[in-house]
Amino acid sequence: MKRRGRGIACMWYPIGFTVSANPSAATVKVNEDGTATVLTGTVETGQGSLTVLGQIAAEELGVATDDVHVVSADTDVTPMDTGAIASRTTYVTGNAVKLAAEKAKAILFEAAAPMLGVRPEQLEAKDRTIRVKGFPQRNLPIGEVANHAQAVKGEPAIGSASWNPPTLAMDPDTGQGKPFSTYVYATQIAEVEVDDETGDVEVIRIVAAHDCGTAINPMLVEGQIEGGISMGVGFALQEEMLFDAAGRQINPNLTNYIMPTSLDMPRIEVDIIDNYDPTGPFGAKGVGEPTSVPTAAAILNAIHDAVGVRITSLPATAEKVLAAIRAKSAHERIAVR
Amino acid sequence: MTDKSKVAEKTKEIAVNLLRGAGEDLRLPAAAPAVTYPLETLVPQVRQQTPAVGQRVTRPDGRLHGLGQTKYIDDLSFPGMLYAKIKRAGIASARIKRIDTRAAEAMPGVMAVLTGREIPVNSFGPSLQDQPVLADERVFHAGDGVAAVAAVTEQIALEALERIQVEYELLPAVFDPLTALQDDAPRVHPPKSNIYATKTIRKGDLEKGFAASDRIFEGRFRTQMVEHASLEPHAAIAQWDPNGRVTLWSTLGRITLGRVDIARTLKLAVNRVRIIATIVGGNFGGKNEITQEPVLALLSKKTGRPVKGVFTRGEGFVATTTRHPFVMEYKTGVTKDGRILARKVRLVLDGGAYCSWSETTLGKAAILSAGPYRIDNLLVEAFVVYTNKTMTGAMRGFGAPQVCFAYESHMDDMASALGLDPLDIRLLNVFDEGSLSPTGQVLQSVVARQSLLQAADRFGWREARP
Repeated sequence: MKRRGRGIACMWYPIGFTVSANPSAATVKVNEDGTATVLTGTVETGQGSLTVLGQIAAEELGVATDDVHVVSADTDVTPMDTGAIASRTTYVTGNAVKLAAEKAKAILFEAAAPMLGVRPEQLEAKDRTIRVKGFPQRNLPIGEVANHAQAVKGEPAIGSASWNPPTLAMDPDTGQGKPFSTYVYATQIAEVEVDDETGDVEVIRIVAAHDCGTAINPMLVEGQIEGGISMGVGFALQEEMLFDAAGRQINPNLTNYIMPTSLDMPRIEVDIIDNYDPTGPFGAKGVGEPTSVPTAAAILNAIHDAVGVRITSLPATAEKVLAAIRAKSAHERIAVR
Repeated sequence: MTDKSKVAEKTKEIAVNLLRGAGEDLRLPAAAPAVTYPLETLVPQVRQQTPAVGQRVTRPDGRLHGLGQTKYIDDLSFPGMLYAKIKRAGIASARIKRIDTRAAEAMPGVMAVLTGREIPVNSFGPSLQDQPVLADERVFHAGDGVAAVAAVTEQIALEALERIQVEYELLPAVFDPLTALQDDAPRVHPPKSNIYATKTIRKGDLEKGFAASDRIFEGRFRTQMVEHASLEPHAAIAQWDPNGRVTLWSTLGRITLGRVDIARTLKLAVNRVRIIATIVGGNFGGKNEITQEPVLALLSKKTGRPVKGVFTRGEGFVATTTRHPFVMEYKTGVTKDGRILARKVRLVLDGGAYCSWSETTLGKAAILSAGPYRIDNLLVEAFVVYTNKTMTGAMRGFGAPQVCFAYESHMDDMASALGLDPLDIRLLNVFDEGSLSPTGQVLQSVVARQSLLQAADRFGWREARP
C-alpha cells in the first residue's frame, strides 16, 4: 500500500569562506555610447553569475542589463577573484562590481555636473541618463556624458575596486568569532509516497521557501532552487559511491550510480522570502549551495511520517526502507503477543 | 532566378563527383556546415528595461546553449594538437617499485610519456599540499594517476597506457573513517596521524544545560560518498609557447588560485601561466581544484604541441573530489515543552586520501551542525580523517546537507517523543534577528522564522490532513 507523508527541514548557510580572506576584484568601463564592459575573474559555471553581475553593474550605472557586457575568467585579462565557490559570487564579486561601477559613475558625474550646472552630488544615474535628483527632466543621455568625459575632458569613465567580507578569526579552543559576514535561511517541506510493500519512495512535491537577500534575478534564483532540489533528491534516495573490499569503486559510471532524472523530480513550489541585507550589493546575499541543503532532511522526515521508520543512514534506498518497515512490523507483532 | 541557382548547385555537384572519381579513397576536406541560425538577434525586452535589479533577465549565454553554439573545452582544437591519457593505479595503497614506460614510448604515434618524478614540484592542495600530481613513490588511493601519455589520437594514448608496466608493493590500507581514527590503524600518510584537522566549538555550560533538561535524546546518523557528476567532464588544453609561457584552457571554477597552484607545481613565475575558463558546464564544487593541468602543461613542453585531456566519466568518479561521508552523533537536552537547552555534537568526516577542501568543509559543518536554533549550551567536536579512498572536497553545501539531515531528523524524533508538531518545535527554537550563532556572532537579516511560516503556509501544513 502506498502511504503519504510530509516532512519539514529548516537550514542556515553562510555566504563566502570560513574566516580566511576571500576577496574579489572587478573593473567597470563605460564606453563612448554609454554601454559598459565589466571585467571579472569569476567563472560562469552554468549558474548565471555573469548575468547577475551584469545586472548589478547596470543598476549602479542606471542602464539596462543588455547595455553591459561581462568579460570573465582569463587570468591575462581579468582581475583576481577567489572563484565560483562557497555561494560567494553574487555577494562578494557583486559588491566588487558595484564598487567599481560607483567609481566609474563618479567620473561621469564630475563630467556631467558643469554640463547641467549643478554639483556632482546632486546627480543620479537612471534610465540611461545622468540627471539632477528631483528634476528628472534636467538630464543628459549617459552616452553623451561618457563621450564628453573621455573625448573632451580626457578622463574615461573606468573604475576598479575590490571587496572582502569582514570576518573575525575563530578562537582555536572555543570556536568563538565571526567566521562569516552573513548567512541565509531556508525551509523546505517534502511530500512523499512510500510503498510499504517495496520500500520505494516517490517524492511528490517540495515547497521551498528561500532567503537570498534581494533577488537580483528571481528567475535565476528559482533555477538554482530547482537544481539544488534535484541534487538533494539524489542524495536522499539514490546516489552512493560504492567500494569493494580492496578500496576500488564498483559503480563509477552513470549506469550503476543512479542520479535523479526529470522523471524523478517532484512538483516544486518556490517562495523567495522578502529580505534585504545591508552588507550585500543592493541587499543581495546568495542562493547557490543552500538550495540542496534541506532537501534530504525534509524527504527523510516525510518517510518517517509516512511509514513510521527512521532511516539514519543515507541514501534511503528502497531496500533500506523496506528492511526498516519489516523490522518495525516484526517488532510490533512481538509487542502484541 | 530559381533556375540559375539550380544550375549552380548542379555544377558544384558534378565537380565534387569528378573529384571523388579521381580516386576511390580520396576524402574531401570537411566543409563547415552552413549557418542555420539567424545572426541578428532579437533582444528580449526584459534585457532592455531599467532598473536592472529584480528583473527576470534572460542569460546572454542561453541563446548559445540553445543553438548548440557554446564552445566548451572539448569543442576546441588546435593545429598539431595531441591527446593525453593518464594511467590509474587501480590499487588503494602501495609503494611504487618501478615504472617501465619504454614499450609505450616506442609506439608509433606516442609523442611523450610523463611520470611523477619529472614534475618539478609534485604536490598540491588548497590548504595542505598532500596530493601528488602523479603518484611517484606511493599510491594513496585507487584513482591515483601513475603515468601519462600524449599521442596523436586518443586511441593510441589509451593503448600506450596498457603498455606501461608498474610494479607495486602492496601496503596496508584503511577505508572506514572510524577505523582510521584508532591508534593502531594503518597510516595513510605516515608518519602523520590520520586525523588531519579538528574543529571545536564551545558555548555556555554543557553539563548545566543537560542537568536542567527534562529529557535527553541521542541520535546517530551516517551519510554516503557522492559525486558531483557535472555534465561537462574535467577537461583542459595546454599550450607551451616558445617564450616559456603556458596557456591553459580549463574547466577550473577558480582560476586565480588555480593559477598559483599550477605555477607552483611547474616552478614557474605566476605571470608565465595563463588560464582561460570561458564557460564551464557545471561545477558544484568539483572543479575548484586543479587536476590534470600540470600534466598537460609538461606534456606540451615535452612535445612542443598543444595537448588536450578530457576525463572520462569514470575518471570523474575515481580521480576527482567527492562529498565527505559523515558519521554524526547528537545528544540534545530539552524541556518538556520542546525548548533546546543543551546540545553535544561529534562529527567524523571521511576525508579520503587527500585534504583538498576538507578544512573548509570541517569548519562549516561544525558551525552549522547545531542547526538554525538558539542553543545556549553547546559543544561541537569535529574531526576529519584520511582513508585510502577517493579524495573528498568541496561539494555544494560543504558539509551542510549532511549535518542538516542529522539535526532535522533528530528534531523530528524529539518532537514525536514529546508529542509536539514538527513545525511548532522549530518555531520555538529558531533564530531571530539578533540571535547569537554557535560562534557568538550576532546574526543579521535573519528570516529563518519567516521561511518556516511561508513554507508551511504554502504547503498547507496547518490544514486538516485527509
